[in-house]
Amino acid sequence: MADLATAPTRRFGFALPKLPPAIALALVWVIAMIVIAVFADGIAPHGFTALDLKHRLAAPGEPTHLLGTDELGRDVLSRLVASIRISLLIAFGATLISALIGTTLGFLAAHFRGLVEQVVLMLADFQASMPFLIMALSVLAFFGNSLPLLIGLMGLYGWERYARIARGLAISAGSQGYAGAVRQLGASPSRIYGRHILPNIASTLIVSMTLVFPEVILMESGLSFLGLGVQPPMTSLGNMVGYGRDYLTRAPWIMLSPSATIVLTTLAVSILGDWLRDRLDPTLR
Amino acid sequence: MSEPLVRVDDVARAYHARRGLFGRPVEVAAVDGVSFALGRGETLGIVGESGSGKSTTGRLVLGLEPTDRGGVVFDGAPMPKGGTAEWRRLRARMQMIFQDPLGALDRRLPIAEQIREPLDIHGVGDRLSRLDRVGDLLDRVGLGVDHGRRYPHELSGGQRQRAVLARALATTPDFLVCDEPISALDVSIQAQVVNLLVDLQAEFGLAMLFVSHDLRVVRQISRRVVVMYLGRIVEEGSADDLFATPVHPYTRALVSAAPTPGRRLVDRIVLGGDPPNPADRPTGCAFHPRCPVAEARCRVETPRLVDVGAGRRAACLLVAADATPNREAA
Amino acid sequence: MARWFALRALRGALTVALVVTFAFVVLRMSADPALVILGPEAPPEVIAAFRKSWGLDEPIFVQYLDYVAAIFRGELGRSMRDGRPAIELVAERIPATLALTLPALALKIGIGIPAGVWASLHRGTLVDRAVMSLAVAGFTVPSFVLGLVLVLVFSVKLGWLPSGGQDTWTHAILPIVTMGVGGAAVLARFTRSAMLEVLGQPYMRTASAKGLPWARAIRDHALPNAAIPTVTIVGFMVGTLIAGAVVVESVFSWPGVGRLLVVAVSNRDLAVVQCILLLVAATMVASNFVVDLLYGLLDPRLATGARGAGH
Repeated sequence: MADLATAPTRRFGFALPKLPPAIALALVWVIAMIVIAVFADGIAPHGFTALDLKHRLAAPGEPTHLLGTDELGRDVLSRLVASIRISLLIAFGATLISALIGTTLGFLAAHFRGLVEQVVLMLADFQASMPFLIMALSVLAFFGNSLPLLIGLMGLYGWERYARIARGLAISAGSQGYAGAVRQLGASPSRIYGRHILPNIASTLIVSMTLVFPEVILMESGLSFLGLGVQPPMTSLGNMVGYGRDYLTRAPWIMLSPSATIVLTTLAVSILGDWLRDRLDPTLR
Repeated sequence: MSEPLVRVDDVARAYHARRGLFGRPVEVAAVDGVSFALGRGETLGIVGESGSGKSTTGRLVLGLEPTDRGGVVFDGAPMPKGGTAEWRRLRARMQMIFQDPLGALDRRLPIAEQIREPLDIHGVGDRLSRLDRVGDLLDRVGLGVDHGRRYPHELSGGQRQRAVLARALATTPDFLVCDEPISALDVSIQAQVVNLLVDLQAEFGLAMLFVSHDLRVVRQISRRVVVMYLGRIVEEGSADDLFATPVHPYTRALVSAAPTPGRRLVDRIVLGGDPPNPADRPTGCAFHPRCPVAEARCRVETPRLVDVGAGRRAACLLVAADATPNREAA
Repeated sequence: MARWFALRALRGALTVALVVTFAFVVLRMSADPALVILGPEAPPEVIAAFRKSWGLDEPIFVQYLDYVAAIFRGELGRSMRDGRPAIELVAERIPATLALTLPALALKIGIGIPAGVWASLHRGTLVDRAVMSLAVAGFTVPSFVLGLVLVLVFSVKLGWLPSGGQDTWTHAILPIVTMGVGGAAVLARFTRSAMLEVLGQPYMRTASAKGLPWARAIRDHALPNAAIPTVTIVGFMVGTLIAGAVVVESVFSWPGVGRLLVVAVSNRDLAVVQCILLLVAATMVASNFVVDLLYGLLDPRLATGARGAGH
């Protein structure tokens, strides 16, 4: 990971000379995670389900198993890489879905006002006031645990924030601003929202996505830790921690490396999100 | 006299406002029974204080807001419902100029692209002819090609309003509503934009509804003028007559308050009392609490807009009694 | 004011109704509980009898109406596992959960709010930065990771505290700390930003310009105003007292409501899951209501005027 980390630093350090070191580090970490997720198959030294019964519960540092092995002799590094891929896939997919749902509902509320708006606002209130984990738990266990369902379910996380932002900004753009002017030029709603409002509020939405993204990672890893998220043989960061709990005494490394990955990734994305918010959109709290 | 281009017939529009978050909803009449007609190439000015309903009238005429009562006829056909495809198509023939040009422009698109937008929307010409047309329009409103490449925040207030004007004229409309088009601009630029509007109006043969609180500008640009107070027309007439010999006490007060060269300020009628509040409309003649000549009956009887001769109309019990003594005020 | 109460109550009832419907639709439409409970090899007549006795053969909307009617009668169904009333199963777990969540809440408030206030008054100092770094860490470290690390250190390495179970009060220490630290971090961060906003207000400058001692200005003006956003967060924490310990209870094998929920969900024990969902919704609604009342106390303008969105 070290060599992966230094290469982009120099490039970005040159392109953005004023990047604070914490931001640069966070950016490097996030890019590294994305690279690992995309090229997981090439990076992992072993198959993530491959058993090596001669090296069970091997401690980290062995040349063939850098991060050690688990009870079945599966390579922790390879499992970690596979887990990063799944966890990021879920987090990215869910964040996109949630942004899409929220923005669409926000636009619908702004466009139709009246009853539609009231229903959207009520659902948003409801979503914000109920603990998501409890709701997600029920849905997941009763619908089974396919990966698309998990992504879709996590895609319901945080939609109300986009909806409120999109509704508020669209209404203010419509009543007095540019959107009202374009409407009166004869533009269709799809043109007004797609070509004018969306590009104008995109930076605010992107900042919100960077703030929701780490929460999705935490939520998914929590569910998987409880055994109700990603199901074996697939693996995610939360699964690895949950599995490693049983070997806490004998092989703490099984849970330590995925734990560190969760913490560092959420930390890095949060730092980037805060930084982006300050730079792009000071109005967002 | 031929059929007017725009005929507004007794339109009314009320809003529902709440006092506080949980107060009872109150119906606030923004516009209450306004009628007028506008011929091709003609300019009608609407003057009034804020809260008089003059801007709402402009939006109702364009069909941007639905009317609660009455209707608008444009070129012989009733105005389609706002937002429908038919209504959208009609936008090519009627346009609006806003008070705040920066707010009316998209911050993220270059000026030229925004001027081209109505052509794209209404499918006028092909790509090349549209680019040509944008160049012509920029030139016509006094902007250069390089202005077209800039973004709204890179232009001055006057240049932005010129850009908005170019965009509004792109589809060669017949009718233009200007809602306080110069009040957000620096005084030094106001005259330039007004002159440009006058020139373009003559050149394009535009019918224009010019909404403003600035009597001087309205007088300069309009042939006929309508004075509004709390959602109703209180006086109407040709610009010269109305400003020379205002009939309604409110108009008299407005005219006397406006500085006119050659007239002494001693005659000024100072309007007392509260500024008009649409949510709290006085009974009878809405102007009576501030009217210097109000009588007891003004508090009870609502004056109708009646003909007072020489193509003028006024809504005042006293004036109506003078001009048409036989007519009973409603 | 009466109208305001009515609106709050209506919103609360609506939330509960939505939860009930959500629970019902999700839980009943997703799988056949008869097959889940009895197994796929059960003879058809046994399955039919099971369905009959649970009302599962009725059309879905009849089941729904039955369910709503039962809730109004206070019957929340029976566990499909052992036939005991679900409410009983849940109720007997509540003390165990509260034994964790109440001390944890005290910890969150007792550490989080003073730390946030302190950091805001000493902005930019080393202490402020330390508090804020810890606060960020508290947000980014998931509770199961924190819990396991604490176990690793205090149980496995040092052997000071037990790692799981509920035998003595020492068993509760690690779970309480795990929950408290994360919440305290969130609260500290919130309190600090609320305080900083208040401290920058003109009336604070006016107060000190009038010669009011700074300490008194803080006490009389800054703290009550900064309390408003903080109360929202605390309200949400109170709302999760019953079921906010799902993950931590699992980490420490603590037999509370959260553990029951996870087991019930795995077993598809519909009545128990619904009962817990309903309980959570009711707690949430109740705490929201109390928060709204507190708003009225802290800022009389808010009771009658618009109040900012929670998020």
